[in-house]
Amino acid sequence: MTNPIFWVGVLTLAMIYASLAMSLNVESGWGGMWDLGIAGLLAAGSYCYVILTASDPDLGMRFAPGLSMWVAWPLSALFTGLVAFAIGAPALRLRREYFLITTLAFAEIIRQLVVIQADLTRGTVGIANINRPFDSFVTGRDYNYVLLGIAVVTAAVMYVVTRQVGISPFGRTLRAARDNEAVALALGKRVNRMRIKTFVLTGVLIGATAPVYLFYIRAISPQLFAPGITFTVWTALVIGGLGSIRGGLAGALVLIVFTEAVGLIEVDPAHINILVAIEPFLVGLLLVLVLRFRPDGLFSERSSFGAARRSAGDPAGDAARVAGG
Amino acid sequence: MELVLDTVRKTFGGVVAVDDVSAVMPQDKITALIGPNGAGKTTLFNAITGFDPPDRGSISFGDRRIDGLPPWRVAELGLIRTFQTPVGFTTLTVRESMLAAATPHFAETPVGALGLSRRARDHERASAARAEEITAELGMSDLLDVRTDELSAGDRKLLEFARSLMAEPKLLLLDEPAAAVAPANIGRLSQLVRRLRDERGLGSLIIDHNLSFLMQIADEVHVLDRGALLASGPPAEIAADPEVMRVYLGEETDGDG
Repeated sequence: MTNPIFWVGVLTLAMIYASLAMSLNVESGWGGMWDLGIAGLLAAGSYCYVILTASDPDLGMRFAPGLSMWVAWPLSALFTGLVAFAIGAPALRLRREYFLITTLAFAEIIRQLVVIQADLTRGTVGIANINRPFDSFVTGRDYNYVLLGIAVVTAAVMYVVTRQVGISPFGRTLRAARDNEAVALALGKRVNRMRIKTFVLTGVLIGATAPVYLFYIRAISPQLFAPGITFTVWTALVIGGLGSIRGGLAGALVLIVFTEAVGLIEVDPAHINILVAIEPFLVGLLLVLVLRFRPDGLFSERSSFGAARRSAGDPAGDAARVAGG
Repeated sequence: MELVLDTVRKTFGGVVAVDDVSAVMPQDKITALIGPNGAGKTTLFNAITGFDPPDRGSISFGDRRIDGLPPWRVAELGLIRTFQTPVGFTTLTVRESMLAAATPHFAETPVGALGLSRRARDHERASAARAEEITAELGMSDLLDVRTDELSAGDRKLLEFARSLMAEPKLLLLDEPAAAVAPANIGRLSQLVRRLRDERGLGSLIIDHNLSFLMQIADEVHVLDRGALLASGPPAEIAADPEVMRVYLGEETDGDG
């Protein structure tokens, strides 16, 4: 009923969302900073990349240095880190839901800036036919496999980097400060400085993923960076397990494959709008079912950090130790 | 070195929680801070450790003024406090909590997380050995891989103390370290507090309601009542002071500690 190329595309998208979800997990899962500004950071990285690689004078952009994509890619990651710093420095003075709302607002500000700065970004018109790596060697449908390869490598890099952060002493202190800020401060932890660094790190990782997203989408416009993308990344992370090492990867695979599979359900053309309408409902149902049966997500934070299982308040253990002492 | 409080005052609205308290607490001695509930003991801890800076007066440790410094900076200078309600790092295991307390700043950056620095790895290994040693002394070896939120209240209290030892303290500030701890473990606790003083010259400033525990280990006792210092002196002298016992015991019988 469908050809393999379709599923290659689905897997590519899943790997891109997995990269974003794993990046988000560092600040939100371990850092406890509930960031709703993913779309904004992704926009910053994407527009930085597009502008730096632009060279066509016909596009009428004020600044089009025409850098090589291999130079523009890391620069986009760094630029996104810088944007994250500019957002994080004021926003991290706030906590929890206030932080969450502020990051959401900043993401919308970035999107509006893109619209307004039309001579730099081509505003709502956007830019199509974005160049992709290796597309002079591999053309046509076969390029989809190259793109999948790029997305898989990106996700693998994100997995290795975020896993290393998670299991490192740095990640441990991040989780400690998330669990109990007062105790962390009382032990001399520079909690705010660490959180800003973590926020910037997540920005860099999202900025590094942004070009891959563009290779997949092939065209850029501000509508791409509506808050919806942030919520998809969050849904993937929650399904996979907030705070776990593999959660972002697993959750994105499940969510994206599920969402695309729903689109494949064959219905009478007259009822197609009904299917479209219930699609978010089905995704919501998936989320509810996962959280009903696995409240910590497919992978839990506990399973990632090797705590022994012990029933809460096991009286036998205490009694034995008191007797032994 | 000494912790010196000079006319420290802290008010909340119209309530004077700490009323011009002046005291000198040697860094290598065990000092007890007692008084009925609401006497301002924990407020004084919060003032010293930067969580709730005093309105007036000065606090210094050694030759440094510490009032007005942020909590992490006070801790960096070696004043390590514990908390009355032992919540801790809920999802971290005992081992992780101990190690987190010992992690140096240079390992607490994204670049440090890559684990390339030999210095950081050596530090981590030394800390792991020290964590096992300290937990063994407190009889908690079998709990190393148990999550903090699954410990009994007494074990969490011991962890508060054990964790603070990992943070290179110069003076411990212990807020009710013996509350909810099993009697057998209180013995280990007082033994360890005394040994830290005798062998390492590491003193403690201790708030507790367990007078038999405090009177046994303290070198000096300060009594707070309604925010003001009522009496100071060695335990025997304080125990014999009829005014202190009237104020203290009169309130304690109906308090829950």
